[in-house]
Amino acid sequence: MMPIWTKSGEKHAVTLLKVQDCHVLRYISKEESGGKTSKLLVGGKNASPFSKSESAMEIFKEAGVPPKQKVTMFNVTDDAIIKPGTPLYAAHFRPGQFVDVTAKTIGKGFQGVMKRWGFKGQPASHGQTKTHRRPGAISTNKAAKVYRGKKMPGKMGNIYRTSFGLKVWRINTKHDIIYVNGSVPGHTNCLVKVKDSKLPTYKDCNKNPPFPTFFADGDEKLPEDLYDDEIFQFTDPSVTY
Amino acid sequence: CRVSSDGKPEKFQPPPKPVIIDRQKQREERRFLSPEFIPPRGRTDPLKFYIERKDMIQRRKVFNIPEFYVGSVLAVTTADPYANEKASRFVGICIQRGGKGLGATFVLRNVIEDQGVEMCYELYNPRIQAIEVLKLEKRLDDNLMYLRDALPEYSTFDVNMKPVSRLDHEEVPVNKLQVRMKPKPWSKRWERPKYNIKGIKFDLPEKKMKEAQKWSQPWLEFDMLREYDTSKLEDKIWKEVSEGL
Repeated sequence: MMPIWTKSGEKHAVTLLKVQDCHVLRYISKEESGGKTSKLLVGGKNASPFSKSESAMEIFKEAGVPPKQKVTMFNVTDDAIIKPGTPLYAAHFRPGQFVDVTAKTIGKGFQGVMKRWGFKGQPASHGQTKTHRRPGAISTNKAAKVYRGKKMPGKMGNIYRTSFGLKVWRINTKHDIIYVNGSVPGHTNCLVKVKDSKLPTYKDCNKNPPFPTFFADGDEKLPEDLYDDEIFQFTDPSVTY
Repeated sequence: CRVSSDGKPEKFQPPPKPVIIDRQKQREERRFLSPEFIPPRGRTDPLKFYIERKDMIQRRKVFNIPEFYVGSVLAVTTADPYANEKASRFVGICIQRGGKGLGATFVLRNVIEDQGVEMCYELYNPRIQAIEVLKLEKRLDDNLMYLRDALPEYSTFDVNMKPVSRLDHEEVPVNKLQVRMKPKPWSKRWERPKYNIKGIKFDLPEKKMKEAQKWSQPWLEFDMLREYDTSKLEDKIWKEVSEGL
């Protein structure tokens, strides 16, 4: 995570996400998947073939792509279908866009009710016998049962969570890095899924996105760094009022 | 062979070796790498530090960040939208340099009209208009937070101080000042060995000093897992930075 300053002198914290060897693996049509839209299978970071099952290796062999560590599905409209085997780059996103980032949160193991659900616990002294971090009462008398989904101790973390509506401040095309506003679930160097934001406020935010995606062997030659309009770039002189 | 005045043969004394002071070599050996360039020990990708360093070098090309240490007196002018001339100037002694990369900060302390004031500035904040070093010197410690509990005369510096001139090739002077403290209680127990402070003149009785040594952890300096050898990293980063600037 890094600080970033705007032209008006405000500081924002920014997370760096690297797009490492992403390829489109397969196209699944609407009828095949049984959903409302067709899907595209996309694979992330390269991994060794020894830890992959036979069925997984078939998909990679068919696409002609080295085996990937993470495989996810993206819902796409019919005009945005990409041929399997095309590499995906960070330039697919543009500064000023808003994204949702999904990842597995840091696993905390088996945790008690105070850490997991934020219960208040009991006082440390004044006669409390062996009860300082316990949940207390779990149901009422009339219910005569414990409701499903009652907050109790258990395994915390290591589940998929999403941060919505994160602004993209900057894109580095040379190293394929996306600078995303705020924090993102997951530990350092964990695998992360970045999508266009589903929030209604940011529905019309993207003016001219590269559609269906940014092709590296195409005609467009992008500069090494793409900045948002409001970012203070370090080549400018200091901010004055 | 020679015979000395008392008649015994003299032992051969070789002529004294000439001491050659190579001024040029000394000048080159003195190089200063700002501490925020050295990445902390962790599991982050070195690519992130490389990219951060490119940004830092880019900022240093446009805006000069001078060499300074904890204990030097600095004057910082910042752009302030609510000040009279849209710029505010603060003079103080640097008591702490923290943070790595672009978020590196330094804290300046001064006593203005009998009120102690500490300002924390970010080195790479674009609102900073100028950083001037009024007096470049080092102190015996890396962290002068104990000045909060020292007598206020040690933290007062004239706001209109003139910069102290010094030659380029001289070594940075170390001020071996021992600071007198206000009576206890202090904000932190500075006599304890974990702070490892050499710049305070403790007027405490011997018994208190011996009791403080109870909290010493003499095994810490032999702990090999805590060692972080930065010499090779520093060489690489120094080459990168000097090529960039």
